[in-house]
Order: sequence, then C-alpha cells, then structure tokens
Amino acid sequence: MPEKQLGATFAASAFQKQWFANLRRRVFDERQPYALVQADVPFELFDLMDIPAVSNQWWAAIVAAKRQAPAYLDAMSSDGYHDGLCRYCSLGYASTRYRNVQEPPWGGLPTPRLLCARLTCDCIHRVFSLWAEAFGSELFEIDHPGAGELPPRWWELGRHRWRELVEPHRLTFVASTLQRLVERLEAISGRRFEREALRQRMEMVNQQEEVFDAVRRLIATAPEAPVRMTEQISNVMATQWVRGTEWALAHAIAFHDEVKHRVERGIAACPGERARLMWVGAGLWHDTDFYTAFERSHGAVFVWSMYLAFGPDGYIRYGLDDPMAALASRTASFNEYLHNPPWAAEWIVQQARDHRIDGALVLRPRSMKPAATGRLFIERALEEAGVAVLPIEGDVVDARGWDAAAARAAVQTFLETRVIS
Amino acid sequence: MTTNTIVKNSGRMDAVITWPSVPVEIVRAAGLRPTMVRGAPEGTTVTPVADMHLELGIFPSRLRNLVDAALTGRLDSAACIIVPRTSDPDYKTFLYLREFERRGIARSLPPIILFDLLQSEGPDVRTYDAARMMALFEHLASIAGRQPSLDDLRLEIERANAARSAVRRLVELRHVVPRIKGAEVLPLLAAFWLLPPNEFSHLAAEAIDDVVQRPPLDGPRVLLAGAPVDGPSLHATIESHGAIVVEEVGPWGSAAGGEDVDCSGDPMLALADKYRRDAIGPRTPIGPLRHSISRMLENIDAVVVSIPSEDTAFGWDYPTLRDLLAVRRIPHTCLSGDPCGPWTRSDHDRLDMLVGAAETRHA
Repeated sequence: MPEKQLGATFAASAFQKQWFANLRRRVFDERQPYALVQADVPFELFDLMDIPAVSNQWWAAIVAAKRQAPAYLDAMSSDGYHDGLCRYCSLGYASTRYRNVQEPPWGGLPTPRLLCARLTCDCIHRVFSLWAEAFGSELFEIDHPGAGELPPRWWELGRHRWRELVEPHRLTFVASTLQRLVERLEAISGRRFEREALRQRMEMVNQQEEVFDAVRRLIATAPEAPVRMTEQISNVMATQWVRGTEWALAHAIAFHDEVKHRVERGIAACPGERARLMWVGAGLWHDTDFYTAFERSHGAVFVWSMYLAFGPDGYIRYGLDDPMAALASRTASFNEYLHNPPWAAEWIVQQARDHRIDGALVLRPRSMKPAATGRLFIERALEEAGVAVLPIEGDVVDARGWDAAAARAAVQTFLETRVIS
Repeated sequence: MTTNTIVKNSGRMDAVITWPSVPVEIVRAAGLRPTMVRGAPEGTTVTPVADMHLELGIFPSRLRNLVDAALTGRLDSAACIIVPRTSDPDYKTFLYLREFERRGIARSLPPIILFDLLQSEGPDVRTYDAARMMALFEHLASIAGRQPSLDDLRLEIERANAARSAVRRLVELRHVVPRIKGAEVLPLLAAFWLLPPNEFSHLAAEAIDDVVQRPPLDGPRVLLAGAPVDGPSLHATIESHGAIVVEEVGPWGSAAGGEDVDCSGDPMLALADKYRRDAIGPRTPIGPLRHSISRMLENIDAVVVSIPSEDTAFGWDYPTLRDLLAVRRIPHTCLSGDPCGPWTRSDHDRLDMLVGAAETRHA
C-alpha cells in the first residue's frame, strides 16, 4: 500500500476495521443478524432496519489487498470452476467455501442472516445461490430489467429529473422489489420500516454526496491534484457503505476540509505534477502501489477514478416525495451508467475534460466479462476527445496472472510516447 | 441454418431474433415471421466488421454474426431485430446496436427491440413479464401494420401447441430405445423455432413415420450438458465416437417445445409463465435447471459438459453436476472449445475415453 498523505485516510481505515470488529461481535456475541450484499444494492434500507450490510466487493478488495486471493482462487480452480468465471464477484464465496485454505482477514465473514444481490451480470444469481447454500442462508434477489431507453447526459438528469432516467415500468418494478426487500428485513429485524426515515436518510445521502461533489471540484480545478486517487477511494468507499449516517457525513466533511486545506496551501499529492491520469474500471486491489508508481519517475498522478466521481452524479436524488421510487431510480441503472453505451463513454469523457486528464488507463478485465463490455466505446470516445488511452489487461482481485513489472513498463512507455512528450 | 443464411434471406416481414426466449406465438400473431440467429462453425464465416466493435471472448458466434450482418447492411430489409434480456451478451448486443445506430456506425437498421423477459422468482416478475409480452405484441403489430386481437394470439398458441405435441413425439424416439441420432434429430427439433407450426407439424409427422420404422440404435446414451448448443456439430462429434446423444440442455433440442401453453385464461400471463419457466440460458434459475438435469440423468450412460470460453454462467454449475454424477456413477468429460467446432485431438481423446467408460456402463 502507498503511504497515506491525509489524516482522513487513517481515520477511514480505522473506522472500517472497527466497524467490522463490531459486526463480528454483534453477530457472535449478541446473535444479531447481518446481511452480505452486492455493492449496488441500497444499503440504506438495511441500515434503517438495523441490519448491518457487508459489501461483497469490499470484502473481495480486502482479501485481495491482504494478498490472500491466489490461495482461494487456486482452490476454486482445483474444484472445477473454470478460469474464465468472474473472480471479483466470487472471491468472497471462495473465502467461504474454501475457508480451510487459510485464515481469512480480520477473522473472516460470519454467517449472514441474508444475502442480497441485484441480478446484473449473468453470473450473479449463480454465485449468490452457491454462496447462500454454503452458508445455509436466505437469498433475496433484485432482478435487473434491461434499459430500453437511455437519454443522453444521464448525470444531468439524475438529480432533479430522475423519473426521466428510468422507464416507468422499470422504475415501478424495482421500487416494488425494494418494498418486498423491506418486508423481509422487517421480518428479520422485528423492526418497522418508516418511510419518513428513508426520506431523511436519503436527504443525508444527498448532503454527503454534495460534499463529495465539492471535493471533486477541488481536485478537478486545483493546479496540482491535492489527493491521490487511492486516498480518494479509501475515504469515499468507507462512507459509501454506511452512507447517509452521521459518521459518513461527518467524515465526508472532514475529508473535504482536509483536501480544501491542501489546495489553499498549495500542497500537491505529487509536487511538480506533469501528467494527470484517469483509471477507468474497478481498482486493482491486489496492487494498489501501481497507482503511485509513476509519480516520482514521471510526475504522473492518478487524479480520477469512478469511486469519487460516481457518488455525486449517481446517488444524489432531489424531490423525495416518494423516497422508494427515488431509491429505485438510482438502483435500476448502475451497470448502464458505468459500463454500457452510450452512458459510460459520454460520462467518462466529460469527467476527463473536467479533470484536465492527459492520459487514461482503461482496465481490460480478464474474468469480469460483462464489466469488460462497453470498453471499446469508452476507449474510442476518449481518444476522439484528445485523451491518450492505454488499455491495461488484468484482474482486479486475481494477482496470479498479473505481471507488475511489465504493466509498469507499458505505462512508462505510454507516458513517454503519448502523454508527456 | 446459420445466421448468415437467415440474414441473406431476411425480408420485410422477418423478425430477426437472437435467442429462442422470445415467444414465437406473439411474433406470428402480430403478422411477422420469426427468424432465429444461430452460430456458425469457426472458419466457415468471418465477421471482420463486428470484430472491430465487439470485445473478444464475450459475444458468442451467433451474436458476432448478427452484428456483422447489421453493420454491413444485410439486415436492412428485416422488419425488426428482437433481442431478449435472457443473457448479458444479448442485452449488451441490444445496447451496442442502438449505439451503432445513434453514432451512424450502422447505416440503416430496422427497429431494434429489447424483450425484457426476467427469469427470477420474485412475486413481481410474473406481471412484469406479462406486461412486456403485451408491449412486444403491440410494438410488433405496429411494425407489421396490423391490429391483431387476443383471439389471434390464442390461435397461434394453439398452433404452436400442436407443433409442441409433434416435438414430444419426436423426442420419444430419442429416449429409452433411441432410433435416431442426436445430430440428425437436433435440426428437426430446432425447426420448431424456425418453421410455421403447421409446416413443422407436417414435416415432423413425416420424420416420425420414417424413424419409427428404423431399428433401435445401439451405443451408450449421452447427455450434452453445460452451455446450450445451437447446432448439431458437437452432437456429430460425440456420435463419431460411437455414442448416441439422446438429450441436451438447451432450447434447440428436446426442450424446443416443452409443455403446452394453456391459453384458456389470459394468454399474456400464460406465455409469460411458459417462457420465464422454460427459456433456457445463462439466466435460467439454478434450482429448476438442476432439477431438470437430475431428471435427464435417469436413462443416461455418460455426460459431456460443454463450457466454451465465453461462458460466464454454466461453469458455476459444473462442480455440483460433477458431484451428482459421481454419486450416480455416471462418467463425464468437459469440453471447452467452441461448440460449433473445430475439435482438437485432445477433445477427441477425451471423448474416446468417455465413450469407452460409457460402453462398460451401457453393457
């Protein structure tokens, strides 16, 4: 892991570790339920019902960052799962099914009361069904109706005109499914869902994302990037999993204030910045040093990833008369925002312009096939916008096929021939 | 018939469909002719234009062929392209085609329609699917310039049910005492999706009259599991080793027809139930699929599991299937090549060994 430059980053890391320890204590000592969920389900509903939710992708990133993924994935291959299957969404399952292979991070996942996933990629139903079987737990699925209409510049519609972003039949279906989820959570927790509490929580989420929007503007407009991409991710994601809570909002503000302070003092993540880079795709969790590897040698700084930028554009919903519908409008189209034409390419190009990006590294995921679609549209749109593109082939959690030296050499050549020259 | 054959012949009443999870009854009742796209053996077709725009290793042969045809003007005269939501590559193909059109990469495409059939088991799915059926019916009717009634739809359901009955009779000649090889019967069964039902029923009856006179085939009986195949190439390869493919997982063979659709009530709900339950693809729920495979194993000597490189779903089922086969002492092998071929020496060696083991069991 690269050294941390911000105090907020230390606080975010400490919070997550403590949060997980509290979760284990609650589950083991107090026999309280918790849920294991995909990153794109509405965490707000779980938190409001006092059922903590652990993100599958967050857990996979922890396992990968601790360099534990290869052993689990080897076990998976030995058991007959072919190497083309998605590793990001299944590493958590592997850590459960092959729990005897090694001691998992932080004591491992306890048995959840419920698993919950949106059925985006074709593999999700299967991975979560197998995982639920391995735990002996219940699975709740939120199906993913396909988008037939995708109006341009989605990020300009999402905040105030979110009803126009999702076709009515899809919005109704997802809102109705979320209502069923609430009914299950009520049954599990013994608590009663309050619509007004959801509205208030979403207002808090709006405030949190407005703060991140301000951070994004600071980063985009500062002469030199004040905060590394890796630290942006640490701070943003620690709050996203508990978004709309008092701690999340307070931490977002603390993060903002520290970034603002750095901008005002002219403190750069990499003094003498010569090239501003963007990372397109999920993070390389097994090799986060990659993102700071070109600062000293080339003055090249990763300025942008989707993790900070997506919050303000993807989560803010104003007009919360029907908070469940507003929540459904956010939930319905995550994949389309981030991976699919036309939405992903036009948003990423806009972000590249706003952040004065010189070069984009676009992940070509080895095993996450659905996430690999739309990539050619994104690469071409960036090049057409004048942003040099370097595709990087790799897996976000599986380090086994990753040649760190070769990848770094490719980036150096890219920087010297297409970005800095 | 491959995709290229279909698109060459497509005319203004043809609804080009990417996977047989679109209700052909609705297409026909609307006044259009369903034409299903299918894969082509590697080396028999090239897709240079599609290859410029589609990421490698994600889109199966049938979709690469379709996109190539769309981008080179070979689908211009079709009435529409219908893409079901029953796999992620299909859904992405829909989004790509729309984007090719928006950006002027495709010159002139017919209307591209997403048929958003969901297959999960939530309580809201049934009514959602029925509403999507109705939306599809109305959209296709407007394209065809017709105003069909629900009675027109019921008539098409009855015709399709008659064809399903013919499928079931044909399937009986594969089971228990097989009289026809898989490679021969698969195109006959697949024709359920391609031919008008009356014509299919007539041709199936002729085939049945012929096959029933044949002597029983001897050889180990093989189930083809894993990702569904849409052509007879793999069947023929397995059978070249002396086995008989008597069953396969997928919509193109024995499961082409399935059970009848009950149209005594709301035909949209009935079709929604039928296609949600019976459509076989990567989003078919794991529970019913396991159940149906378990049933198929009752009269089987060996299993070939085909999991091509672009698979993202069926590979998850393999260890459970392997364990089930071990319990039942049924030998199996896995093939990872394109199910359209070509086949490697190693594939043939695996099949040789499998058939050898199956013969012992069969004896």
